[in-house]
Amino acid sequence: TSQPLPPKEKTLFNRILKCYEQKQYKNGLKFAKQILSNPKFAEHGETLAMKGLTLNCTGKKEEAYELVKRGLKNDLKSHVCWHVYGLLQRSDKKYDEAIKCYRNALRWDKENLHILRDLSMLQVHMRDIEGYRETRHALLQLKPGQRAPWIGYAIANHLLKDYTVAFKVLEEFGKTQQNDYYLFDEEMVYEHSELLLYQNYILQEAGLFQQAIEHLETNKEKIVDKLSWLEYKGDLCVKLERLEEAEKIFTSLVNRNPENHSYYQKLESVIKPSNEVERLQIYDAVSAIFPKADSPKSLPLTFLTGPMFQERVDKIMREQLKRGVPPLFVSLKPLYKEQEKVKCIGEIAEQFIRSLEANSKFSPDDEEIEPPTTLLWARFFYAQHLDKIKEYEKALQLINESLEHTPTLIELHVLKAKVLKHLGDTAGAVASMDEAQSLDTADRFINCKCAAYMIRNDMISDAEETAAKFTRENVSIDEYLKEMQCMWYEVACASAHSRANRYGEALKKCHEVDKHFTEIIEDQFDFHQYCMRKMTLRSYVKMLKLEDSLRSHRFYFQAAKAAIKVYIHLHDEPYQPGDRIQDEKESSMSNAELKKLRNKQRRQERKKAAAEERKKNEQHDKSGKKNHTDTILINPSFCNFCQISNPLEQAQKFLAPLELYCSGKFETHYLAFQIAERRGTLLVMLRALLRAQKVAKESDMPNLHVCRVRFAKK
Amino acid sequence: MNIRNSTPADLMNMQHCNLLCLPENYQMKYYFYHGLSWPQLSYVAEDAKGNIVGYVLAKMEEDPDEATHGHITSLAVKRSHRRLGLARKLMDHASRAMVESFKAKYVSLHVRVSNRAALRLYAHTLKFEQSEVEAKYYADGEDAYAMKRDLTKLLDEFSEPKKLFLPFREKQPAQVTPQVAVIEDTTEDFVDNENSQSGLSVLAEDNLIKEFKDSASMT
Repeated sequence: TSQPLPPKEKTLFNRILKCYEQKQYKNGLKFAKQILSNPKFAEHGETLAMKGLTLNCTGKKEEAYELVKRGLKNDLKSHVCWHVYGLLQRSDKKYDEAIKCYRNALRWDKENLHILRDLSMLQVHMRDIEGYRETRHALLQLKPGQRAPWIGYAIANHLLKDYTVAFKVLEEFGKTQQNDYYLFDEEMVYEHSELLLYQNYILQEAGLFQQAIEHLETNKEKIVDKLSWLEYKGDLCVKLERLEEAEKIFTSLVNRNPENHSYYQKLESVIKPSNEVERLQIYDAVSAIFPKADSPKSLPLTFLTGPMFQERVDKIMREQLKRGVPPLFVSLKPLYKEQEKVKCIGEIAEQFIRSLEANSKFSPDDEEIEPPTTLLWARFFYAQHLDKIKEYEKALQLINESLEHTPTLIELHVLKAKVLKHLGDTAGAVASMDEAQSLDTADRFINCKCAAYMIRNDMISDAEETAAKFTRENVSIDEYLKEMQCMWYEVACASAHSRANRYGEALKKCHEVDKHFTEIIEDQFDFHQYCMRKMTLRSYVKMLKLEDSLRSHRFYFQAAKAAIKVYIHLHDEPYQPGDRIQDEKESSMSNAELKKLRNKQRRQERKKAAAEERKKNEQHDKSGKKNHTDTILINPSFCNFCQISNPLEQAQKFLAPLELYCSGKFETHYLAFQIAERRGTLLVMLRALLRAQKVAKESDMPNLHVCRVRFAKK
Repeated sequence: MNIRNSTPADLMNMQHCNLLCLPENYQMKYYFYHGLSWPQLSYVAEDAKGNIVGYVLAKMEEDPDEATHGHITSLAVKRSHRRLGLARKLMDHASRAMVESFKAKYVSLHVRVSNRAALRLYAHTLKFEQSEVEAKYYADGEDAYAMKRDLTKLLDEFSEPKKLFLPFREKQPAQVTPQVAVIEDTTEDFVDNENSQSGLSVLAEDNLIKEFKDSASMT
């Protein structure tokens, strides 16, 4: 510093620091005032900076910036001032700026551990991994007696794929520790175990399989996470072609968890059965040990064919129908890719129903009499089957018949809703789902489905009212779901608004989703230091990788798609303030009086209306979607989302992550093409077209063709 | 359904499943806190497409005054996937990991007093004992039962891994009876038939506000 303080003021200054650490902001400000009120020190840089930092914590951001900057100007050679400026920027999430400040701080105090540590966290957060390694190296040289500097330096090298260095650092660190230090403390046992597994993970990533397997064997007793130990060892045995040993390991794994599908794949890869019969024996062997496990029974259905398939699927269906397991269809659904199996399953179900109807037995020559519920579940299953093979009318008929017998079975109402949705009768679907929901108001799953169906049918205020049954009363539903990052809801609303041309509302929801992703990426900040302490480094490294491609998640894709479509629309037909047309239905919906008249009465009305609408639709075609008028409905509070001068730039922002993480999807390139077309960038259009062509599926052909024609016309 | 230990990549989908099934919800940071503190303890059940249809989110309690124990923060199975015994399997894996990795002596959880289906699962199938009632535990004012399951003998329940009997490897023609004695597997009981007819999706859940104290202590 260029402004040293005399002892009395120095003591006061130290108190400010202490108050800041202990979050006693009021006291901190008091001490700052004591120094600054002395005219001699009124412009003391470090004190001004600290006062600013303290004020920042009480929410006075603007004042804080002003003071910190003034302090810094007065004392440019103070590491404290630079550090404080860095902290301020960091709290404001301006990480790049913060890094610059820390670097300046280090110029005046090269060996300040606190600053080095803070800087390293920012660097890994911003993925400046080279810089991170440098900083962690400095920390290690300064503090070789502590644990964290070793770990941090190893992580940095690991992230840079410098596996040998990473491994050696951890090896050296191990040598500095007493041999059995970890035995003294239970927590340490776990941490040591995690460290060893991390070290092993590095060896595996480096491709040093022999070394890795030896490392596992040497440390077997010290590794408490037995599952990871077995999984690592099994995979290493396969890589080193130690198949007999691998078989033993995977056998114990399948004994631990007979429902883990990957263990079966691995068992097959080491046992190497030569045909279907031998393959099946592996699964039957597990079934013999765990007669009640599902996976060894259901997995063979994917590879069995012909009579063997028929025999097995028949058995499973009987067992589960007898026990009344509603998800039987869900379990068999993966098989519906194969036409022959679909036919076989359908025939079995049909036979069951016929025989159960005639004499309460699965087949006429059976001994056992089935209870009536078996027939009910058989019909429920068959209706799902019919729905899946697009025999919607037949499915509906069967469901209606079943509902006459058991009108309170929620699953039937849910299924009816689904079939109606497939028929294009979104209103009828809502009515059925609402009925299901009313039969069990304590089940949020049904509640959510009902809300989703309502949104699909553009009944957003009804959906809000329904969903609000499971949210806190004192907060609005939108606020609550936003706070809880409930993205399915936001995405569904965005699509509904967009379909109804409520562009502002749609964009608002899309931006909310985008913001959640930003939040989640921000959230990792605290974990950089935390995981180093907890030693859960394998998970930490996986988390870093995950965050790097977080926007590959389907919710982001859906939100981005909706947003881009709206922005393209706003480019084609810019929003004019004032051409707002109030939808009459909408305005009456928001009427508080009407809201009270809801519930049972309304549900019945809806049902009636739905039935009428269905009749109407039947006369026309199968796409009974409500025809909403093409008026642009923009609520004033959403105008700012629409009144933008650069919709295509906004669209481009949403597109960028899709191009990075969803390049395998046709729609990504289709959207890219549409943006480029409007921007008149021919080469980008061509690039999008070529990429789209590469990944296009049969169903994408019409859109691909449109792109080709439009490109040719340019 | 495929049941496996969860990874950080599952956490967002676990949150989605939670938001669909349970009234007590948490922000992503809280899921990361679990996944990055006790990665061994959380499990997921997924369908053939990789959608998460059930999960258990669990943690260790780090109170030095109490015996080491685990805690179930949240357990849910989608209604469309009930009666497959997923909840019990998820719980068994989490409990085993608590003992193996952290030497847990017992596991605790909270459940709504109105949630009879879940209570039956815990009391009958999983041998939990009701320890006390926590008044107004949940945000909506409902009471919770605090329940505990002793884990000190858990590892004894898991038998030694058994060999797989593969007839095609035997020299003689395949025998009908397996050579490995199949002992009755006590841990593989199905959820009894009655409890699953009820539509309650809430299995175990923690009150957000109480829990968040822990999350705050992280930093």
